[in-house]
Amino acid sequence: MFPYIASLFILPLVVSGLLLLLPKTAARVLVIASSVALSILSLYLFLNVDEPFYFGLPHYVNEIVAGADILLLLYFGWVAFRKKSLLVGVMSVLQLGGLLYLLKTMPAAESMQFMVDKLSTFMFLLINVISGVIAIYSLKYIDEEECSSFRKKYFLSILFWFIAVMNLIVSSDNLEYFFLFFELTTLASFLFIGFRKDKESVNNALTALWMNQIGGLAILAAIFFIHYNGFGEGTFTNLLANTGATGILLPLALLSVAALIKGAQMPFSKWLLGAMVAPTPVSALLHSSTMVKIAPFIILRLSPALRDTPVATVIIALTGFVFIAAAIGALSQDNFKRILAHSTIALLALMIMMGAVGTPVTIVAALALIMFHGISKCMLFLNAGILERVFHLKQSSDMDRLGEIGPFTSLVITIGFMSLLLPPFGAFIGKWMSIETLGAMTADKKILGALVMVAVACGGAVLSLLYFKVMGLMIARTGESDKLKFEKTGPIFSGTIYVLIGLIILSIIGLPWLVTEYFAPVAATSLNVNEIPVLTEGWNIYIGPIKLPLVPLLIAFFLLPVTIITAMFVRFKNVDRAKEYMCGEKVNYTFSSFYFSTDKATPYFYAAGVLFFISLIIVALI
Amino acid sequence: MNDYLIPVLLIVLAPIIGGLVYGFERVVKARMQRRIGPPLLQPFYDFLKLADKRKMIVHSAHAFLGIMHFVSLWFALGVLLLGGDLILVIFLHLLSTALIILAGYSTRSVFSHLGANRTAISVLAYEPVLIIIAVSIFMITGTFETGAVYLWDEPLLYKMPLAFVALLLILPIKLKKSPFDVAEAHQEVTGGVELEFSGLFYEAVYTAKWLDYVFCYTLVFLFAGSNILLGIGLIVFTFFYLNALDNSSARVNYKQMLRFSLGVAFSLAFINLLINILS
Amino acid sequence: MKLASYRKKSPWILHYNAGGCNGCDIEILACLGPKYDIERFGMINTGNPKQSDILLVTGPVTKRSRERLVEIYAQMPEPKVVISCGACASTGGVFRGMYNCEGGIDQYIPVDVYVCGCGTRPEQIIDGVVQALGILEKKTKELEESVRLKKEAVNEGKQLNRRNIADEIKPLLS
Repeated sequence: MFPYIASLFILPLVVSGLLLLLPKTAARVLVIASSVALSILSLYLFLNVDEPFYFGLPHYVNEIVAGADILLLLYFGWVAFRKKSLLVGVMSVLQLGGLLYLLKTMPAAESMQFMVDKLSTFMFLLINVISGVIAIYSLKYIDEEECSSFRKKYFLSILFWFIAVMNLIVSSDNLEYFFLFFELTTLASFLFIGFRKDKESVNNALTALWMNQIGGLAILAAIFFIHYNGFGEGTFTNLLANTGATGILLPLALLSVAALIKGAQMPFSKWLLGAMVAPTPVSALLHSSTMVKIAPFIILRLSPALRDTPVATVIIALTGFVFIAAAIGALSQDNFKRILAHSTIALLALMIMMGAVGTPVTIVAALALIMFHGISKCMLFLNAGILERVFHLKQSSDMDRLGEIGPFTSLVITIGFMSLLLPPFGAFIGKWMSIETLGAMTADKKILGALVMVAVACGGAVLSLLYFKVMGLMIARTGESDKLKFEKTGPIFSGTIYVLIGLIILSIIGLPWLVTEYFAPVAATSLNVNEIPVLTEGWNIYIGPIKLPLVPLLIAFFLLPVTIITAMFVRFKNVDRAKEYMCGEKVNYTFSSFYFSTDKATPYFYAAGVLFFISLIIVALI
Repeated sequence: MNDYLIPVLLIVLAPIIGGLVYGFERVVKARMQRRIGPPLLQPFYDFLKLADKRKMIVHSAHAFLGIMHFVSLWFALGVLLLGGDLILVIFLHLLSTALIILAGYSTRSVFSHLGANRTAISVLAYEPVLIIIAVSIFMITGTFETGAVYLWDEPLLYKMPLAFVALLLILPIKLKKSPFDVAEAHQEVTGGVELEFSGLFYEAVYTAKWLDYVFCYTLVFLFAGSNILLGIGLIVFTFFYLNALDNSSARVNYKQMLRFSLGVAFSLAFINLLINILS
Repeated sequence: MKLASYRKKSPWILHYNAGGCNGCDIEILACLGPKYDIERFGMINTGNPKQSDILLVTGPVTKRSRERLVEIYAQMPEPKVVISCGACASTGGVFRGMYNCEGGIDQYIPVDVYVCGCGTRPEQIIDGVVQALGILEKKTKELEESVRLKKEAVNEGKQLNRRNIADEIKPLLS
């Protein structure tokens, strides 16, 4: 098994190096070939890893890691000096101090540094397949970017490097290693967000940097407290082994803080919203498969230890609040990418909440959400890129003619939004299961459960309203263009989109099978139990006590998503046609969509988020 | 088998029952205004007449979405009557409304767009209240299955009177009655989303309105549990309340509607939920 | 209940003022009120051409309103009936010959029923609508017949085409 896993780490790194040197055509071949290879490797690992697989590296690697940490923090300090950013500087100094202190006091690590279990392989699959698709897509996208040819190579190079770091982070067990990779993803996002080098990009990149550095600081503090409270080495295995011990809550809370920051929960949502200035493949990468998915990953890793603790309670309350706040925030957006970003924050909150609740069903729901969200967000962002490049559209209110000039793109965007929303697509099932289980868990924490349930349900309603607003723009047209003629967007653009649509359709068809055969075992490893009872009885799937009736879901599938897709193709014959009624006037109006101004509420949302974060730490201290 | 007989009959006959309710409503409303009013079967005459008209569309997607609005609403009603999951029912109802909103957005008609926007806002106004009511029902019965709620011994009304009041406050929004009928305001936006439909396609939208009556009155009926007499009483009360309100009030604008619904109805339902949890 | 009679029972009215003095409009509104209550015949004032059967026009056609009038008429689905309501709509009335008026509406759209009076009395309007209902039913039947014609299979054997006719008359000509 080891060579396969190692090649998942090394291959992207090698590709990343080669991409800087190779000419354009060779780079193309290399990107496509390595994306396919990585996907196959991760699929192989996902199917074949059953037991957790530990492996260690020689001791001198620890020294290299420590050295790399210091170098990285020094680089951040230099960035702070160059860009005159006080916050980044302070954070770098704090981190450097903490790291040096830890290196001095902590004994050398004894146990294995890496652990690959089913959760890791699940993340491998997500990271490599989705990021591979994005890598191929960005071949074309970055080709049309206005920058020097070296920077184009550099962009692809960071992309593969990012994949390598992501593969490393989901398989690391030792928290010091985890810290390094965490900081490396921060660095990658910093470089990506600042890629366009204009003033806004640089500012937003710095925001992303200092916010994520707080997360790094939290990890360092967690390592310190694990050691200080006498749990020995800072590893995930160690943490989970000491579940329930006094003093374990603080490191758990600190790691959760790191997760919540990576997951752009309020008040740290600003960095993800700012990341929109980067080229669109970056947004796709950050939102779908990498970076933000570290958040649910950490929570899922820790969920057996977190379950039923006050820390979990605060996390659930926080994410419930963020879910509805982000949904409301999304209603006020007009920029297409910002709408997507807000809905990412909302759905991440849902995933983290599911992980923190930590019952078998919620873990399954969280995994389903992670996967479906990964695929459909990726597709939506890639389409946002196509809208920008091919149709020169950025604001959603300008898109009212998209159904006429780009019916294929509008169809795909519609499918993407529906896969985030409608039954029986994943997100709906995730949401539904979450409502049901939150209801089931309320025996002892009734008020919290009910409040969160209301937040989830209302947030869901607001989000669906938002999605339908955008979908309405997508299918708008006049009687003259009743017959669709699909546009051409080029082989790379349309090819990647086809792959993603294929993935969505496959996962819809295979949903019952996916839940029983794949999500349930992964959830079992995440929960440290042998297996999760999943029964298929007649037309119902039972996961523990929760019933998932398939018949209404199947009919709902044929009614709703298929309806909307057919609506774009259907064409009635033998009917009279009339113009739209405008009181007899013959005027052409321009249409845009409504949005609410919720700017007044935003500071309150942020303040509430800060309060939640403070209470997270206070709860853990008590 | 008998358990399914009544729900299935109700589902099959839902458009006819809804049509009768609508016809009766028109008569009652006319009598309240000291008019004679149309015959009881007037909705069905309209139905048959609309079927006779030549079909006329703006574009195909729009007409198709109108028909599917009717179908999906019927499906949501079916799930509700057959005792399905209440959250699923509310979601399906939301989605069937969403289809008509999509239809409204899909044309380049001013009034259609205005109507779709207003419908979307009214969804925002009533949806959270409905969900809170569903959650409070869950808190009392321990299940989201409406099948169990129909068989619940003690009427839910006694435990959640405030939620019932909240439901009464949002029903005018859902059924597009004055003072909350901004969504289809005939004098302002000439029917809103339904404006561009005609003939057979309008028939689907028109009949969907009847289904909405059955849907809403079933929600009212839920509050009576297994007490059928009380349920019928509640429905009759709600019917007269709605018509009296419709006749006696003027339309408010959408901001006032949103503020009222989220301010008053939402808080009432929420207080009720808190009481249910604490007791 | 005779099922076929439903057609007469649900006429939906679209009311359009093509530029008159509002006298007739007030009378039309009076019809809706409790005294005359045309809703007892199932009539509704829809204000929307796409769902109406009867176009009730008042006032003479002014040069500004004629395009709107035709547009609205075109947006009504078949079968449809037009009632010109009042002297102005029928002939131009007191506005006839004015620089901004075109006279009666029948210059632009086919009118089925003329209702006289300046302004028309509600009873007259109701009477006009009832007459229009007869025409509406006739038109519905015509429409049905035409649909049936379209649907009935064409008997190939009886059909004569141009060549057959030419073949038949050739000996007669020569």
